[in-house]
Amino acid sequence: MNELLKVNLRAHFLYYRRSRLLLGFALVFLLLVLLTALPAVFSPSRTEAFTTAKKVFTTLNMYLIAFSAGLGLFLVSSHLHDRNLKMVFTKPCPPTLWLGSAYLSAIAVSLLVNAAILACALGMSLLGHTKVQAGLTFISLDTFAASLGMIAYLMFLAMVIHPIIAAVIVLVFNPSTFYALQLWTLAVYSAGHKSVFLHALERLFHYCYMALPMVHPFSRETQGIEESLRVAPAQWPYALYSLGYALSLTALSYCLSVFFLQRKKLI
Amino acid sequence: MIVAENLSVHFRRGLLGPPIKALDGLSLEVGEGDFFALVGQNGAGKSTAMYCFLGLLRPKAGRLRVMGRVPELGSRLYETVAFLPEEPHYDLYLTVEEAVRYYAGLYGKPLPAKAISDVLERLGLAEFRTLPLAKCSKGMKQKVGIAQCLIYPAKLLFLDEPTRGLDPIIVRLFREVLREIHQGGATIVMNSHVLSEIEMLANRVAIIEKGRTIAQDSLENLMRLEQDFYDVAFEANDDAPAWVSVQARQGRVVRGTIPAARLHDFMEYVCQAGSRLLECSLKKATLEESFIKILRGKTL
Repeated sequence: MNELLKVNLRAHFLYYRRSRLLLGFALVFLLLVLLTALPAVFSPSRTEAFTTAKKVFTTLNMYLIAFSAGLGLFLVSSHLHDRNLKMVFTKPCPPTLWLGSAYLSAIAVSLLVNAAILACALGMSLLGHTKVQAGLTFISLDTFAASLGMIAYLMFLAMVIHPIIAAVIVLVFNPSTFYALQLWTLAVYSAGHKSVFLHALERLFHYCYMALPMVHPFSRETQGIEESLRVAPAQWPYALYSLGYALSLTALSYCLSVFFLQRKKLI
Repeated sequence: MIVAENLSVHFRRGLLGPPIKALDGLSLEVGEGDFFALVGQNGAGKSTAMYCFLGLLRPKAGRLRVMGRVPELGSRLYETVAFLPEEPHYDLYLTVEEAVRYYAGLYGKPLPAKAISDVLERLGLAEFRTLPLAKCSKGMKQKVGIAQCLIYPAKLLFLDEPTRGLDPIIVRLFREVLREIHQGGATIVMNSHVLSEIEMLANRVAIIEKGRTIAQDSLENLMRLEQDFYDVAFEANDDAPAWVSVQARQGRVVRGTIPAARLHDFMEYVCQAGSRLLECSLKKATLEESFIKILRGKTL
C-alpha cells in the first residue's frame, strides 16, 4: 500500500511540475503580486511597508486558494480527458488509493506554497521592521483549510462535469451569489410583493446557500483579522472550526468522487 | 481462466439517444494457457469484450469470471494481469522511463534490479528514455505499453491490437516475446485485425459479430473449414460436372474448385473426357478465408 501511494504521489508531483497550465497560472499571479509589492520597495514609510506587506500577503493567500482549486481540477480532469486511468486501474491500484494520492499530492503542494507565503510575509515584516502579527499565522491556517476544501470540491466537480463548467459553478454559482439572491428575494418580499413563488424562490436560494461549500465558513466571526492582522483569543478556535469544516467537506467530496470514479467509463 | 456467459453491454449516444448493443449475449471461455484471439469486423464488440474482462466496463447482464473472480477496478486480481491498450492513452507528462517505472510500480512490488533498463534496451527505447511521451511517436508509445507488460511475469495478458503502428522489426521481436511468455505458461487474450498474425500465434479463436460469439474453436478446426478443397484448372470440351465450382472460363480452360472428397471423381472425369489437366492443388487454408466464410454464413 505504501509503495503504491509513493508511486502515485511521485507521478502526481511530476504532473504538477510539468503542467504548463499550472505554470502559467502561477506565473501570472506571481507577476501580479510582484507589481503590487513594488511600491513598498521604494517607500521609506513603515506604515506603507506594513500596508503593502499585508496587501501582498492577503493577495497571495487568495491566489493560493484559487491555485489549490486549480491543482485538484487540472489533475483529475486531465487524467479523465487523457483516458489514462485505465492503465492505473488495470493494475492492483484501486480508485480509492489513486484518488487519495491525488488529494494528498494537491494538499502537499498547497501546504508548501502556503508555508512559502507565510515565510515571505514574515520576511517582509522583518525587513520592514514591523511587528510580526499573529494574524499572519491565523490567515495562513484559514487559507490552508479553505484550500483543502476547494481541492476536494473541485476534484469532485471535475469527476462529474467538464472542467470549464466546474470552474463556472465555483466562480458564479457559489454561496455568495445565492446569499445575494436570497437577500434580493427577501427585499422584494418585504416590499409587498408577497407570493408563494417568491417565498419558494427565497427558500431555494437559502438551501443552495447552505448546501454549497464555502471558502470561508466563519468569515463573520473572523472579520477584521485580515485588516488588522490581530487575533482576539476568542477568534483562534475558528481556525480549528474552519479546518473541521474543510475536513468534512473533503471526506464528503472524496466519497462522492470515488463513487463516480468507479462508475465512470474509463475506456 | 475467463468464463463469460451472455454478456450484454449497451451504450447510449447522448442522454436521449437509442441504446446501441455493443455486446449482445456474448459467451466464451478462455482456458488456462490458451493464446486466445478475438477477431471480428470493426465495431463487432472485441474491445468492449476485453474491457469487460478487465473490469473497465460493467456488463448490463450476464455472468463473468476472470480467474474465478468478478473483475473489479484495481483489485488484487490484477496482480498477475497485464494489459496493453489499443490506443496509447498514457500519462503524457512522463518520460519513457518514468512511464514504464510508474506503470510497473503500480503492481506495488519492488522493481527487479535493472528490469527497466533491460526492457527498454530490448525494445530499442533505451536512447529515448528521457523523451517525454507527449513527444513520442505512436509506435514508440506502443513500445512503452509493451515494456510495462513485460516487467513482471503475468499469468494473464490482454493485448488490444498490439502491433498497430509498430515497425516490422519490432513486430517480429514482439511476436518472439509473446511466444516466450505463452510458452512460460501465461494465458494471452488478443484482439487483432491482422489475421496472419493470429495464425502465427494463437491456438484458439473466437469470431465476434454484432456483440455475439458466432464461432469459437481451436485455430486448427477453424482453418479446416477451408482445407477440404482443391484449386483446379483443366481443358474441357463440354460443361464441367456440377460439383466443380467454376470460377472462370477462358475458351476451353476452366478454373474452379472441387471438394476434396470429389478428387477421385474429378481424376476419372478428366481421364474419360481426355481433357488436359493444367492444375490441381490443395487449397492452402487461411484464417482469413474461414473468417470470411463464417461471417458470410452468419450474416448474409
